[in-house]
Amino acid sequence: MSERVRTVTTVAVMVVMASALALLISTQPVNVDRAEAIGSRIKCPVCQGESIANSPSQLAEDMMDLVAERVASGAGDQQIIDELLASYTGALLLDPPASGSTLVLWLAPLAAVGVGVGIILWWRRHPGPMPATEAPSAPRSRTRLLLGGLILAASFAGIVVVASTSLQDRPAPASGVADIGQQDLADVSNETMEAVVAANLDNPQINGMRLALAERYYEEGDYRSAFPHYLAVAESAEATDVEAASALTRLGWMAYEGNGEVETAIRLLDQALAIEPGSSVALYLKGRVQWCGAGDPESATSLFEQVLENPSLPEESRSEIEADLDRASSGAACT
Amino acid sequence: MLALLGSAGVVAAIIGSVLLVIRGIRSARGGTADLVTPSKLILAGAVIAMAAMQIALLTDDFSLAYLANQHSTTTPFPFDVATAWAALEGSIVLWGLILAVFIWAVAARHRKAPDQLEAAALAVMGGVAVFFFGLMITVANPFEVCVDALATGCAGSSPWPFATVDVPADGPGPNPLLQNHYMMAIHPPILYIGYVGLTVPFAYAIGALALAVPGPEWLRRSHRSTLVAWSFLALGIVLGGWWAYEVLSWGGYWAWDPVENASLMPWLVATAFLHSGLVQQRRGMLQAWNFILVISAFSLTILGTFLTRSGTINSVHSFTQSAIGPALLGFLVLVLVGSFTLFSMRSHLVATSPRLESFVSREGGFLVNNLLLAVFAFIVLIGTTYPLLLEAFSGTRVGVGEPFFNRLAVPLSFLLLLTMGFGPVTPWRGAAPGLLWRRLRAPTLIALSLGIVTVLGVTRLGWVVLAVVLGTFVAGAIVGLLVEQTRIRAEKTGRPLLAEARTVIGNDKSFWAGQLSHLGVALVAVGMAFAANLPLNAQVVLAPGDSVDFAGYGLVYDAPFRRSEPNRVVQGARIDVYQGDRRITTLEPRLNLYGSNPSPIVTPAVMRRAGGDLYLTLRRTDSETIELDLDTSPMVWLIWLGGLTAAAGGFWSLAARKADRAVTQEVVTTDV
Repeated sequence: MSERVRTVTTVAVMVVMASALALLISTQPVNVDRAEAIGSRIKCPVCQGESIANSPSQLAEDMMDLVAERVASGAGDQQIIDELLASYTGALLLDPPASGSTLVLWLAPLAAVGVGVGIILWWRRHPGPMPATEAPSAPRSRTRLLLGGLILAASFAGIVVVASTSLQDRPAPASGVADIGQQDLADVSNETMEAVVAANLDNPQINGMRLALAERYYEEGDYRSAFPHYLAVAESAEATDVEAASALTRLGWMAYEGNGEVETAIRLLDQALAIEPGSSVALYLKGRVQWCGAGDPESATSLFEQVLENPSLPEESRSEIEADLDRASSGAACT
Repeated sequence: MLALLGSAGVVAAIIGSVLLVIRGIRSARGGTADLVTPSKLILAGAVIAMAAMQIALLTDDFSLAYLANQHSTTTPFPFDVATAWAALEGSIVLWGLILAVFIWAVAARHRKAPDQLEAAALAVMGGVAVFFFGLMITVANPFEVCVDALATGCAGSSPWPFATVDVPADGPGPNPLLQNHYMMAIHPPILYIGYVGLTVPFAYAIGALALAVPGPEWLRRSHRSTLVAWSFLALGIVLGGWWAYEVLSWGGYWAWDPVENASLMPWLVATAFLHSGLVQQRRGMLQAWNFILVISAFSLTILGTFLTRSGTINSVHSFTQSAIGPALLGFLVLVLVGSFTLFSMRSHLVATSPRLESFVSREGGFLVNNLLLAVFAFIVLIGTTYPLLLEAFSGTRVGVGEPFFNRLAVPLSFLLLLTMGFGPVTPWRGAAPGLLWRRLRAPTLIALSLGIVTVLGVTRLGWVVLAVVLGTFVAGAIVGLLVEQTRIRAEKTGRPLLAEARTVIGNDKSFWAGQLSHLGVALVAVGMAFAANLPLNAQVVLAPGDSVDFAGYGLVYDAPFRRSEPNRVVQGARIDVYQGDRRITTLEPRLNLYGSNPSPIVTPAVMRRAGGDLYLTLRRTDSETIELDLDTSPMVWLIWLGGLTAAAGGFWSLAARKADRAVTQEVVTTDV
């Protein structure tokens, strides 16, 4: 067999093998764990750069459960991601979109490849050390010096601007609030949080921490400990609307649940709704207070209906509220 | 007492460093000056500082604020020793010590053959040492004494060694994550040797620019240090991944975390530099590029330290909480501005290089490899810093994580593998027609066959198959080249093939050492593809006596256990692992509770198997049941093996260089 024939045969065998591989790979039935895929694109709000799929924290697990539920209910990837980002503050997309402020991230590597290839090709035709900074019309060394200086000045200016913005605009918060605020709060003990709150009474950034701490007491059923923190947030001039509204909502519910004060409860919940109209939690709890506390199933019915208008209501809450709505509208006593 | 001793060591090292700068400059300008004495003074000072720290740790001397906040009487060996680098101040002592050893090594060689380039390099290294030892007496002082003791820990400290000391009875101990695995004791020093080692080629580069001798001399002089740095960085990165896998309980080893990226970036640039340095030494090309690479590699080590040590990663806003952030950033700016100003002042001297005759040549392959590695490093850099920059400028928070990096880095890595297959078999200057075909047809056929075997027998997932094909291609090309050269020699000499293979390797040890590293990288690629694409996982809730089948094993939850150790309380579950009816092992996934820290460190239990590890993580325990994560990591050991092989290639090359040095000198001079 001549050399040529052998070569042609070998190439043919290679082509056949490669196409067989390509065919077998491309006909692989796609079986992706969608929940996992979505979860790996969402940053866990209380962790350092971990996705909710990887993080062992309770919040991340809850969020993963929600994702699995939504996947099972047939929601689209983008829809689920949008819902998560909207309902969890601090959740971020780890997979930055190629648009808006993160377009640069995708363009810069491309540009780097382009510049690199350009320099190599240029250098190939004009062998010389520094093609990028060489202008044939000007004396070499001076142009280079100038360009080098300019690049340096630009990078220096960039760094200085970054450094000074972080120095000027954001005064260092007292005794490490920013620090703790960025940490995984799930790992911080109640005592630590209390201590931090106590040490930072004047710090406007403390409301988030207070609220998290109060929320924790609330879930443990320790209304007595939760109360002062909710109150402080509700009264704080620095609290955001969302923070104030959720503090008022909890205060209202605790007034009813803990002390049976129906009027106070409704007043507080109305205040919450005034700040954040349409808050599902406030609407629902107000409905419960109207129904169970004030014995007014009709007001409750209309409130429950308003809650159910919220399209992003989690499925399990929805079915629970629908059950309540059924019973309230039939005039039954609350359960 | 120890505070005084340690501070005295630091001050001695600073004096030595300043002296080294002054005398180095004098000597570089043609004068004569003794550079060995200052370098010895730096080394002595650094050793004293580290010794003071270690004595304090071993004798539980809580009068030092660093110990009061990082150490505890219950910290067991070797973690008490490792506490010296468990936090910022101590880790800078380690950094200083390693830098001192490198300085001393360069200076000791200087005594034998004094010359201006080496003197200039020493002056630069002295300058770097002034900065790092300077940190130790200013913003990151490890020898401050505690003046305001808490029950455990220290609330206030003074840099003045004679201040009235208020000694706490005990400290909280180092970060639990750092005392949970022995690897944490050795991983940081190894990584630091890598980081600090890059100071040497940087110093030579700056020295060469300052003296206006941009020829290959500086590359040759610093090549050994570059290899040391590169090998240790590789080793450190692998050990870091291994540690994460064994300790961090999510079954992964690499998360594109900024701390990890900080070690990857200098390694990528150093890898590019090792290759492009070769091009300059052999063909006189890429002079300017080599300066850029080495300045970047050194700057990236400083940037990495800044990112990981200033708290900037947690939040841009925590930047100002410690003065270490501005200090490191300032030094980084100084290095960048100073180096590139010098570089542009000397650029007219960077000689015109010979023409690239053909892209299909070894140097052409190196060009492609350098482009890919530089882009890779750039992607990691921009992905790590962009969220910080954006937040600092506009306050907008964006996340850049695993999906972004994987999307860009995975294809890039496959291109690198492809280059790695072509490069080594391509001769310098240009390949004769048909040569590449002859050398690569067998590897290609073998690679495609193995790909088909994988598809039919293991998986049809594209990334895995591609990794197998390209990994085999790289390995096949290397083995093929060895076989070819051995045959040619054997035909001439008639000696047995095995003996000739040894001669072939022995004649060009550094080349074959490089190929060993290539093999290691190919193994890593295959291991990563398997571990990332083919794992199984499940979550179960078990009561004692319950069993579950997973990945071909039967797992039986035997019983919970709880034991108190000096520094921690270990709470765990005993899980018997059966294969068929035979019990093969008992695994103990645990929750380790350290001191007063309320949240447990989740510690997985791993059963290592060639096909895939069984990886159990205890999520929760209550009185009745446990919640357990079950995972497999197929072929994950290939990653460790490959990483160690890559690093071993570097070390072998280092040993080979020493033996061949006389020969190398000849080769280089004849080549030029």
